[in-house]
Amino acid sequence: RYLLICLSNFLGIENLPCELQRNFTLMRDLDNRTEEKKGEIDKLAEEYIANVVNLASVQRVEHLQKIQNAYSKCKEFSDDKVQLAMQTYEMVDKHIRRLDADLARFENELKGKLEVSGYESPEARGLKKADSRGLREKRVSRGRGRKKLKEKTPSDVLDMPVDPNEPTYCLCHQVSYGEMIGCDNPDCPIEWFHFACVDLATKPKGKWFCPRCTQDRKKK
Amino acid sequence: MRKARGGACETVVNRFNMGRGRGRGRGRGRGSSGQFRPPSPYRLQLSPSRETLTYAQAQKIVEVDLDGRLHRINITDPLPVVTEDEMMAQDLSECNSNKENSGQTQSKARSWRKLPNVKGRRNGKSASHRADAQPPGAHGDSQQHSSAQVPLPEPVFRVLSSVCPSDAPPLPAAYYHYTERSSEEQEREAEYDMDEEDLAWLEMVNQKRVSDGHASVSPETFELLIDRLERESVAESRSQALSQSAIDEDAFCCVCLDDECLNSNVILFCDICNLAVHQECYGVPYVPEGQWLCRCCLQSPSRPMDCVLCPNRGGAFKQTSDGRWAHVACAIWIPEVCFANTVFLEPVEGIKNIPPARWKLTCYLCKQKGRGASIQCHKANCYRAFHVTCAQKAGLFMKIDPVRETGSNGTTFTVKKTAFCQHHSPLGPRHHGDGEAAAAEERLAGGRGSRGQRSYTQSPPSPGKKNAPKGQKKKGKKGSGRPGRRSALPVLLVPQIPSHRLNKICTGVVVQRKNQFMQRLHNYWLLKRQSKNGMPLIRRLHSHLQAHKTTELKEPDEKLCAAREELRYWQKLRQDLERARLLIELIRKRERLKREQMKVQQAVLELKLSPALVLLRSTLDQLQDKDSARIFSQPVNLAEVPDYPEFISQPMDLSTMRAKLEAHAYCSVADLERDFDLMVSNCLKYNSKDTMFHKAALQLREVGGAVLRHAHRQAQSIGLDPSSGLHLPDSHNKHGFNQCSWDDVDSILDPENRLHLTTEEQLKTLLDQLDVVNSMRSSGGRTKRVRLLRREINALRQRMNQQQLSAQVVNGNTKKDPKEEEPEEDREERVKVEVQKERKKGKKEIADSGPLTSASTPGTDGSPPVLELTGPVSSPLPGDAPLEPPVLGVAPGGRRSPGRSYKRQRSARSGGKGPGEDEAEVGETACPQPEAVHEVTPLGRAGPAPPPVPATPLAGVGRRTSILFKKAKNGARLPGKSKASPAEDRVNGLDGADAPSPAMPTFTPLPSFPSPHHLRSRGPSSDGEPEKPLPTHTQQEGLMNGLGKHEDAPSDLPNSQTFNGSPPKRSRGKPALAKVPDNENAVDLAGSGTTTHLSLDSGSALTPLDLVWAKCRGYPSYPAMIVDPGMPQEGVLHNGIPIPVPPVEVLKLCARREEEAGQKLFLVLFFDAKRTWQWLPRDKLMPMGLDDTVDKLRLMEGKKPSIRKSVHTAYDRAMAHLNHVRGNLNFTPSNFI
Repeated sequence: RYLLICLSNFLGIENLPCELQRNFTLMRDLDNRTEEKKGEIDKLAEEYIANVVNLASVQRVEHLQKIQNAYSKCKEFSDDKVQLAMQTYEMVDKHIRRLDADLARFENELKGKLEVSGYESPEARGLKKADSRGLREKRVSRGRGRKKLKEKTPSDVLDMPVDPNEPTYCLCHQVSYGEMIGCDNPDCPIEWFHFACVDLATKPKGKWFCPRCTQDRKKK
Repeated sequence: MRKARGGACETVVNRFNMGRGRGRGRGRGRGSSGQFRPPSPYRLQLSPSRETLTYAQAQKIVEVDLDGRLHRINITDPLPVVTEDEMMAQDLSECNSNKENSGQTQSKARSWRKLPNVKGRRNGKSASHRADAQPPGAHGDSQQHSSAQVPLPEPVFRVLSSVCPSDAPPLPAAYYHYTERSSEEQEREAEYDMDEEDLAWLEMVNQKRVSDGHASVSPETFELLIDRLERESVAESRSQALSQSAIDEDAFCCVCLDDECLNSNVILFCDICNLAVHQECYGVPYVPEGQWLCRCCLQSPSRPMDCVLCPNRGGAFKQTSDGRWAHVACAIWIPEVCFANTVFLEPVEGIKNIPPARWKLTCYLCKQKGRGASIQCHKANCYRAFHVTCAQKAGLFMKIDPVRETGSNGTTFTVKKTAFCQHHSPLGPRHHGDGEAAAAEERLAGGRGSRGQRSYTQSPPSPGKKNAPKGQKKKGKKGSGRPGRRSALPVLLVPQIPSHRLNKICTGVVVQRKNQFMQRLHNYWLLKRQSKNGMPLIRRLHSHLQAHKTTELKEPDEKLCAAREELRYWQKLRQDLERARLLIELIRKRERLKREQMKVQQAVLELKLSPALVLLRSTLDQLQDKDSARIFSQPVNLAEVPDYPEFISQPMDLSTMRAKLEAHAYCSVADLERDFDLMVSNCLKYNSKDTMFHKAALQLREVGGAVLRHAHRQAQSIGLDPSSGLHLPDSHNKHGFNQCSWDDVDSILDPENRLHLTTEEQLKTLLDQLDVVNSMRSSGGRTKRVRLLRREINALRQRMNQQQLSAQVVNGNTKKDPKEEEPEEDREERVKVEVQKERKKGKKEIADSGPLTSASTPGTDGSPPVLELTGPVSSPLPGDAPLEPPVLGVAPGGRRSPGRSYKRQRSARSGGKGPGEDEAEVGETACPQPEAVHEVTPLGRAGPAPPPVPATPLAGVGRRTSILFKKAKNGARLPGKSKASPAEDRVNGLDGADAPSPAMPTFTPLPSFPSPHHLRSRGPSSDGEPEKPLPTHTQQEGLMNGLGKHEDAPSDLPNSQTFNGSPPKRSRGKPALAKVPDNENAVDLAGSGTTTHLSLDSGSALTPLDLVWAKCRGYPSYPAMIVDPGMPQEGVLHNGIPIPVPPVEVLKLCARREEEAGQKLFLVLFFDAKRTWQWLPRDKLMPMGLDDTVDKLRLMEGKKPSIRKSVHTAYDRAMAHLNHVRGNLNFTPSNFI
């Protein structure tokens, strides 16, 4: 039976590298184009500065408009890139979730096997423990929209070495751990927050905004 | 430990005394001590005179305790040297008895060595030969005790002098990086590292081999082989220990029967008998590496011990000083017995001191007589005796309490041991136990009892009959396994490697004479292991022993194994995915940052390319912010005010300015300012002074001025090139306006210092200073100066106004600065003139052009003068403006228009002199700009006409109209737009006194124009044609608004010239309406007197908030203010000045008074100290402030000086009020605050 599971796992994941590669290629492409545009803008700006005295106001406006257009193009590219990155992230995330679920099932099965075979080895015990821990952490549901609570993967199962480049979040600028909550402001600079750092114990109902965004919104 | 000893000689010796006895001193006392020395009682050795020694003295003296007596040896005394052999025998016997399992022995042996060294040096003789390495624990047991011990084999050894340890290679500078190797990798290479010993051995072996003609064995091969042996032994031990549970979770110490396990006091298990003891209970200060054996397993593993003190077997034993064995617990509990060393808890001493009586006691638990020593119940009078171990077995109450005793020689700590027999246990039997505590204790005791039972077994009365295993408590297999093991020496702990395995190990190695070498190697390895107490030579294997054990377990299950592999694979995949996710998260963040960066870059570039534009834009934004009512944000809607172009040639607004800005039409702040000024002046020009637009414009000019000045300064400081809009390359002259000090400000504040400047310049400097001061840090000095500056500025402005006014007057009203408000008198005069002109001219525009002197179109100018004529009317309007928030304004574009409409209205009024005419005018004004009227209306009531003296007569009408308009507003707006021009025509017509008829037709068709109709109709009615307008008007009103109807009704009545008291009442219910009736009444009153010449009769046009001379009976005329009785209860602001609200009682009085008086009464508020109220008829009121002489007369009216004085003060108050109200007209409120 695990073979089946493995197969199902495999089918999904097999394609992942290709998809990732495709997305990254796209992003690089966009990046290149952005760079080109930037060069263009620089040229335009120089030109403008050189000639501005001789230009009529209409021409100036036109020139500036050109620069502006280039910038908006750049912004478009940037938006695309961000979008692409998010999409990629979602993709990997999806795979991870599926794999997690499968792994949990797999482990359960293994454990069952062990029990059947008569004695429970310490490792089986360990597995069980890790399993329950993993399940506990996974219990957090993915809310609608951005209101999802991010849970860190049961890393004790994985024993992953700490990545020094791991992105930091929250007001505390720490790596993610435990349950996390996402700010509902799409432009929030921080995005994810530890429950403890924002004085939350449970998932709040409705929209949630981080302290900073709340302040900003109040100002507006 | 050794260091400490070496440090101070005295302590060293003392320690020895306390510890295991006799060091150097034994040499002297050797003869006397003989073979058997009684143990020195523990800690009795302190010399009585010891305290008297000084430190220096003490340093020179070595104290030695021999046989309980204290010897002091001066370090300068010569001491005889004892030969090695003599010493060794004794020392070693000593040593042996105290031996700990592990390296402890060794350390002890070394410390033994130390002392002689010190001594020897002092004596100038070398005693170092004693330090010759004696393999610890290798001595024969030379003790004389009778215990039948197997004589230990004599080790044979020799010292290799050729071996010198080589220096370790220098450490590399780089950091070590540890990466865990996979098991396969580990398989492949040898983990073992040779030490000096190995090197020496190998060298020896190689020498032999070389001499025998064989190739020598390389160190690598040696290491590899040792490594393999280790692995093999680990595997072996694993398979052996398979069934053995490593740690028994519910183990308890068999000395104290407690299972508490602290880090500093762990429970140790004997590796052979599995005895469990606390470190402290068994005297093991340091947990040894490798195996640990209890004393009896270490010293006589093959035979079960019998305790000298009790009949029980099993448990933790220690040797007595005479070589027998005793339970630790027994030694603790039997008072006469003690431990020679309280740290290592051995040997047991003082057994000889046990009185015979104790030996004879019979244990009531085991009933055995003459076996061991018993203790007795602690309870007085209870003589029950029991063995300690029996008591533990039975779970008797036994407690050890630390006691602090403060005696004559300081505080000492002792322990108090209390043991009770079953009957006297303090907890008592459960039935008379008190509460849970007892029960809990009971349980505990019970638990202990059972533990005790498990711990001990009774030794057979005749030894050898029973061979009960000690550790019956543990798993059954243990019990069975032990005897066999016991027979073996501890050596067994190093697993034997079967020979076939040995062969297997060495298959991969090419060595000549393999078997012989392997045999040797194996033996060497065994010895080495033994010397390390069975510790594996490779640490890793040792530490992972446990884990490996468990993993190995499952190997047989191939399927599971495969599954696990699978699982591992997926987990790895999961890890990779997680890493990928992290990476992508980082990428996402990066892209977001890049996007932000892009935006910032754009902003930067914009700032670089067009700094002027940015500056101007921000300035414009600020200006727009100041225009909170959004009056100026959009162009004037010409559909609403068709005549606007006639007055304003260059319309301007903020949106246009923005468009120009974006089109780079502005090069500098000055350009922007020009347009801004144009916009404001347009507004000021087109709208009469009384409109909210006018006021808003003034305010905007004020605030915007500051913004623009700031922008100017900024532009200067950053250095903009006006031609390109770029930064000037090098101009960075900071205009430090902040540097100006208070002195500068103060000097400016002094008018003397500004004399050389024109007023405009003065104003400018003052404003600059104000900005500067405002930008400073706030402080007392700052606020004061700000206030002073404001005052100066206001004064200056007033002066400028006056100048302009006078100039205008001189010019015959022709010159008018659009920015400056004209004084009302002036305007009125002008208006009059214009009115004359207008009358003469058939067309209004012409008339307008006359009065208009400024650049604006003639039409617009024409209207303002007209308005001025009706000055009183106009004043209420401005008053209204503040009250009525702009929100009410119907359309943004239309806001300006109301002002205009008013003006027009006024002009009409000016034309017509009778009340009817006023009404007509009102009607007209209403028609063109209903919205405007609407806005104004609420205020109209509240802020009447304090200001203009001449215009009094018509003021009331104006207000009334405004109210009406308000009602009509909604419907009226659209028509108003469409009919704007007709309305003007009508105005003209009115001026000519034929207004009603033209107006009527235009309005009637439009259903939405009720109020205008009404008004107009009134106009006609005064002229004698009331009938026509009335019906239409009322109908429409009815449609529009219930309130409107009310109003209409009263207004109609006055129109018909009938005097009517009821309308006011009706209207009073609704505050907005209330005024109108009053005014009407007033008008009526006036009309009744002189219908035709109301305008000149000041009395006729009294409106609320007018100031009057009020004459009460018995009093001279007194300054007072007319107050609208219907004003809202929450109070009203008249140009920012709060108007008191009449109390309810006063209002109630009205009806009665009116009845009494038989006529309409006005509510007045006296300007006396108490601000009293009064209802007075019209004829008792005289307008105030219109004519100086009249006022003076009134002031002199009082007969008594005191009364005159009070009238004076009241007059002053009234004037102050008037000034305030007017002042607000001229200046923005901020100036006053």
